[in-house]
Amino acid sequence: MAALEIENVGKILRDGQAVLRDVTCAARDGELLAVVGPSGCGKSTLLRMVAGLESVTSGVIRIGGQTVNELAPQQRDVAMVFQNHALYPHMTVYENLAFGLLVRGTPRANIDLRVRRTAAQLGLEAMLRRYPRELSGGQRQRTALGRAMLRQPAVFLLDEPLSSLDVPLRAELRRELSTLHRSLGTTMVYVTHDQSEALSLGERIVVLAGGRVQQIDTPVQVYHRPANRFVAGFVGWPPMNFLAAESFDDPTRVPAGEGALEYGVRPECFCARPGGADDLPLTGRIERIESQGSEWHLELTHRLGQVLARLRPEEALRVGEQVRLWVKREDLHAFDRASGLRVEL
Amino acid sequence: MSLRTRALQVTTYLGLAILAIATLFPLLWVTSIALMRAPETAAGTPPLWPHHPTLYNVVDIIRRQHLGRYFFNSMVVAAATTALSVLVAGSAGYALARVDFRGRRLVSWLVMLGVLIPNQALVLPLFEMFRAVHLINHYAALVLPAAANPVGIVLVQAYMRGIPAEILDAARIDGASEWRIFRSIVVPLMAPMLAAVGVLIFVVSWNDFMWPMIAMQQEGMQTLPVALAAIDREHYQDIGLMAAGATVTILPMVLVFLASQRYYLRSVIAGSLTD
Repeated sequence: MAALEIENVGKILRDGQAVLRDVTCAARDGELLAVVGPSGCGKSTLLRMVAGLESVTSGVIRIGGQTVNELAPQQRDVAMVFQNHALYPHMTVYENLAFGLLVRGTPRANIDLRVRRTAAQLGLEAMLRRYPRELSGGQRQRTALGRAMLRQPAVFLLDEPLSSLDVPLRAELRRELSTLHRSLGTTMVYVTHDQSEALSLGERIVVLAGGRVQQIDTPVQVYHRPANRFVAGFVGWPPMNFLAAESFDDPTRVPAGEGALEYGVRPECFCARPGGADDLPLTGRIERIESQGSEWHLELTHRLGQVLARLRPEEALRVGEQVRLWVKREDLHAFDRASGLRVEL
Repeated sequence: MSLRTRALQVTTYLGLAILAIATLFPLLWVTSIALMRAPETAAGTPPLWPHHPTLYNVVDIIRRQHLGRYFFNSMVVAAATTALSVLVAGSAGYALARVDFRGRRLVSWLVMLGVLIPNQALVLPLFEMFRAVHLINHYAALVLPAAANPVGIVLVQAYMRGIPAEILDAARIDGASEWRIFRSIVVPLMAPMLAAVGVLIFVVSWNDFMWPMIAMQQEGMQTLPVALAAIDREHYQDIGLMAAGATVTILPMVLVFLASQRYYLRSVIAGSLTD
């Protein structure tokens, strides 16, 4: 077990393209750090750099206080789970699990004990003699997890481990991963493009875009106090609505800051009734109602554009009719129009 | 099954059957002629089937023309060439596909270029080279030039590209050395393609004519096809004898192919099947 520190790390490809610029983040000992961002943001490259599969152009990566920049993957004491499992197709589940211990010269009896224990932990006892092609997607991913767990690495790296699975299985494995992390207590870095996965699994989240860190914080902070417009729009589903002061019925009541501002309101922060005297009204025409059972998603056209609101179902709401919704002042996010940075109101 | 698919199926099988017959007929006829004696073989076109099958020609060509000696030469050369070039194609194909080194693209291109150069163009420089190192009339003269087979390297390289790089990365992270990865992961995964390349190279080496004819001039060192051509020049009127020689020459090929066709076909159709 060890902490992972990434300091001012940059990656420039041979063709001169900069994939990562000045990335600094850290996973504390035993922490589950989720790295999230749209595809092409450099998150997988970052993980591969920590693993030693990609060279580091600039900056320092430390595992347990030791600089590992120049160490080969074999020497780093990390384990990795790949998106496509990357199991050895010509080996049985048992052999797949045992390979890492075998090449490190662990005694056979010890290997057997640990393989069986890990297999039991992951519910793979009955699969030990099967080949990867004979396993279901979930069993393959469990085997890949087991292979990584077995060596008890200092840092556990997961590269979109669930994205190739179907939705119910993904939820199940997500819960298992969370439990596993708690029981193993190993430092984990979990890379995903799925913001909901990052929110539900990460103890802290690193939001990455365009090769730069956008925000590092707890899920609660990232969701409720996004550092910039990108994070605000990327984290949360359905995404945050972005509005101008003039979108509201009375622009003069919208709190202003320095410079030109853009306002953000999460879909669930609209209310059909005012809660207090300070609430800001916004009127629009209902274009569409999508029922989700417990709530309705309303598409509204207001003066300057469209918003999406999540409301409790009400018979009074009808497509084509005008409706007035209310937003609490504290639910209003503001971003500088020029820099995109968060502005406290 | 609809009428259309049924009709398509019938046409397909009919076409395949015609191709199969066209391929097999000459082989079978030659074998059949090998079992005939004059006068069946003496007058014009020999019949399709021997009336009195006999092994006379086979025994005759082996005993009087010392075919065993040439058979042995061919076997040594083909086996050594196959072993060496599978080794070279396996390691070079893997390196060109998956090992990151400076000049990899250039080497890939040069190997590709090697595929395009006809062997005949190499005969003269090869002869000069081997004469300079006194290896003419040695098995090495036939084995060494064939050791780096560009077709084999290109085939292995293409096959290796189809194997996800993550599998090798996983092994690296598991702590395996590069050599261990090659031995425990790469070679088993490449096995079907290596088998196919082996069969291909064995056949090419076995059938090679021009270079062996030039490089092996000493009596008793010739390979089977070269010796057979010499016998042909002396006994061109004895069709039965020639057919026996051809049959003995073809036989090992057929056996090698039958023994390995399972692997061979698997790698030929690999890529069209997903798991």
